[in-house]
Amino acid sequence: MYLRKLLQPFKLIKNLYRKPMTLVFPEEALPPIENYRGRQLLDIEKCVGCGMCSRVCPNDAIVMVDFEGKKCPQIHLGKCCFCALCAENCPTNALQMTGEVFIAGYDRSFAVFDPEKLAKK
Amino acid sequence: MIDVPFFTIPFGPCHPSSGHFHASITLDGERVVELKPDPGYLHRGFEKLMEYRTYLQNSPLVDRICILDPFHAELGYVNAAEKILDIEVPEKGKFIRTIMAELGRILSHITWIGVTSMVLGLNSGCMIAWGDREPLIRINEKVTGGRIYPCYFIPGGVRRDLPENFPEKIDEVFNRLEKNLEQYDFLVFDNETIRVRMENVGILETEEAIDLGATGPNLRATGLKADLRKDEPYEVYDQLDFDIPTQKKGDAFSRGMCRRLEIEESMNIIRDALQKIPGGEFKNKDFKPFTKAKEKETYFCCESARGEQCYHMVGDGTDKPYRVKVRGPSFSHSLAEFPYLAKNAYIADIPAIYWSLDPCPADVDR
Repeated sequence: MYLRKLLQPFKLIKNLYRKPMTLVFPEEALPPIENYRGRQLLDIEKCVGCGMCSRVCPNDAIVMVDFEGKKCPQIHLGKCCFCALCAENCPTNALQMTGEVFIAGYDRSFAVFDPEKLAKK
Repeated sequence: MIDVPFFTIPFGPCHPSSGHFHASITLDGERVVELKPDPGYLHRGFEKLMEYRTYLQNSPLVDRICILDPFHAELGYVNAAEKILDIEVPEKGKFIRTIMAELGRILSHITWIGVTSMVLGLNSGCMIAWGDREPLIRINEKVTGGRIYPCYFIPGGVRRDLPENFPEKIDEVFNRLEKNLEQYDFLVFDNETIRVRMENVGILETEEAIDLGATGPNLRATGLKADLRKDEPYEVYDQLDFDIPTQKKGDAFSRGMCRRLEIEESMNIIRDALQKIPGGEFKNKDFKPFTKAKEKETYFCCESARGEQCYHMVGDGTDKPYRVKVRGPSFSHSLAEFPYLAKNAYIADIPAIYWSLDPCPADVDR
């Protein structure tokens, strides 16, 4: 038992031959997982402008704006907590969550996603 | 004799081993004369915020009460809300909740091993623990869609079904974790430096612990077999077969050992639950985003990773709660037990005492 304890530190040598567990981030990133709660994607044709998403949003991040003759959601991602209640409660499944997580920008206005920007993949 | 005033030094809120918690320590040489906790750096006013949100919208909010153990914050909340809303949960939903809550317990305890070994000067323990946390977080991500904040339990069940290959995935991760637990034993729990710093430090007797409001592993480390999962079974814990690990001494090391043993027990619970999980619905479709509650008062307690997480909720017939009172386990841990144990201890033992209690500053302030 004592010998085993004494020899245990030498096990660490095998770490020299192991691949690194981390990734070089900007070049490679973990693959997005299916059903991940990233930013929302809007299908403008499906959207009926009922406003359920804006009513159910816990942070008031969604406002309904006029777009191509109907009401569509505009999402402030700075306020969004990515709980996906808007996508889950959408009666026509027009709003969906995507695996997109790289949504940082240089400007505050970048965080506001109007229907046009929201519909872009 | 010259009267020399005591030194008063701050512990936190920007101390590497205090988290966001501040305490001012009065010292007589190396001995602590008095420790005054001063919380409030993470106060976000959850209880008031919850009055402005519907029962559905509160579910993502309560996650934020304790970052490291969000599942139990949700579990307590949804159970209390279901009593007010008069909603039944399908059996499968209850099983999924139990499995995910136990996964949350493992996540919290592994983080504890990491943070404590780092605070006590053992950085490799921290690296291995946080490395082990990652596969569990990936499972969390796969099931709930979020890495840290699951937003998963809602009144009436859970939001999504378990993914198809969930049992295999769990097996794969747990096999790896079981192997690494041996490594923790060698690296952390059998380590002479850790033992010297944690053994016979901050000893808490059972009666004292009860008087100070200790719950969870801190109380079980004193030798009392007190666990709400056995005493007042909620969800499906009455159908599962499990043990409650206890320790006898009540010092910092046995509190840690209690958590280490609970990881294994939680893995057994998840494996057991995965075998017994029934088919059918995972949520009650009667619950709508703006369902109105009854005029009723309710109180619900669940056993979180740190202790008892309780909710006292009053409904007034609208879709929002009239008043919610949250009882977090860390409140008594860092405001009652910590000053008590710190008295007459050496200043060098303070981080060991503080982290062995496993308080979460976010949960203290709420």
